[in-house]
Amino acid sequence: MNLVRLFVEYKDYYITGIKITLLLSLLSLIIGTSLGSLLSLFKLSKLKILRLISTFYIELVRGTPIMVQIALVYFGSYVIMGVNMDAFLAALIAVSLNSAAYVAEIIRSGIQSVDKGQWEASRSLGLTNGQTMRYIILPQAVKNILPALGNEFVTLIKETSVASTIGVAELMYTSKIVQSTSYQPFNPLIIVAVTYFIFTFTLSQLIGLLERRLAHND
Amino acid sequence: MIKIVNLHKFFDHKHILKNINLEIEEGEVVALIGPSGSGKSTLIRCINYLEEPTSGEIYIMGRNIGNLGKKIDEVRKAIGMVFQHFHLFPHKTVLENITLAPYLTKKQSKEEAEKKAIKLLETMDLLDKKDAYPTSLSGGQKQRIAIARALAMDPEIMLFDEATSALDPEMVGEVLNVMKDLAKTGMTMVVVTHEIAFAKQVADRVIFMADGEIVEENVATEFFENPQNPRTKEFLSRVLEY
Repeated sequence: MNLVRLFVEYKDYYITGIKITLLLSLLSLIIGTSLGSLLSLFKLSKLKILRLISTFYIELVRGTPIMVQIALVYFGSYVIMGVNMDAFLAALIAVSLNSAAYVAEIIRSGIQSVDKGQWEASRSLGLTNGQTMRYIILPQAVKNILPALGNEFVTLIKETSVASTIGVAELMYTSKIVQSTSYQPFNPLIIVAVTYFIFTFTLSQLIGLLERRLAHND
Repeated sequence: MIKIVNLHKFFDHKHILKNINLEIEEGEVVALIGPSGSGKSTLIRCINYLEEPTSGEIYIMGRNIGNLGKKIDEVRKAIGMVFQHFHLFPHKTVLENITLAPYLTKKQSKEEAEKKAIKLLETMDLLDKKDAYPTSLSGGQKQRIAIARALAMDPEIMLFDEATSALDPEMVGEVLNVMKDLAKTGMTMVVVTHEIAFAKQVADRVIFMADGEIVEENVATEFFENPQNPRTKEFLSRVLEY
């Protein structure tokens, strides 16, 4: 009961935090996935320079903590470019760029998991490279990578909490404020954990639903 | 129809095809036979440029396909290919498998493509499977659908790359019958096969390959009754033993 009372008392904070977390997650997911798709195509390209660029990028992003990346974008934008970047924008950029690297690897493995014979059959029928990718390879790849992609999206939602370190008023940040104003160190954490869990659980259920719908031809 | 001049193919340092010269007339049915690794599959795959030759020229209906670049798709539309492992599109129904390419590359309307597909399925006696997904079909059915998919493009040439090698023995016949009927319609066909009886019955000409070379070629009856080269004789004696 204490938890509910606490939530109601600070509901304006929480609602703002939830909104920002959801917005940050959704936008990062869209940007990260688009950019990741592009990077995966780079990685599979015939041009060595494109392959090198994407490999370099992916290794760099995967090899550094997201908390460092977020700080680099936020403070780096000022130090390097002299721009006073909005914290939300900095978080959006960092989380998107981070997710893109993981998504790129997932999509690449998905494309490569499709039997080479599918390419050959499609090309032998006169479909172009692009048509083959779009109508034959990607639909099969997406089906194969859906579990991994779902996993990445869940991770992304959780990682937006790092935005609190540069002062974005998302859920985790809200929780810290409630902790200090209510003098309760523990209960706000329960609330924030449950809220994140509701988001991620809903998402993984949705992905599971999609998986089952695509499974009809197995 | 098909003219191959001084064709060589290397995989890394392995010389897979050694100076192949070959001409195939319109309406001709040519069987390519030979031991595994003799280069017959590589040769047939060069004809629609799924394999790029290391040197030499290939002419399809007078066009040198080596310097077409992206226009190779135009030529591929005129060449149907049937694979050993079918390669049907598993995420599409039987009907979609057949209509996809005509719809995308020939700008046929969906209705037009479907009408044609249904006709093809009728001749294959598979109309009841039109809404099924490939995984629910037997090997023989899959391969007949794959043939229908290729025929839906109204090709001038059909290539068969060991089309019956992956089938259970009792299904080989149904696929060979479709191929036989197709040969009767005057289709130009190049058939890589291990079915000697089929080559005997259906092919106009038989080409025997070994170690990347054409060792012997002759009209079918003559080829089997009177093989000249000792390697051909040895191969035939081994495959005809049983």
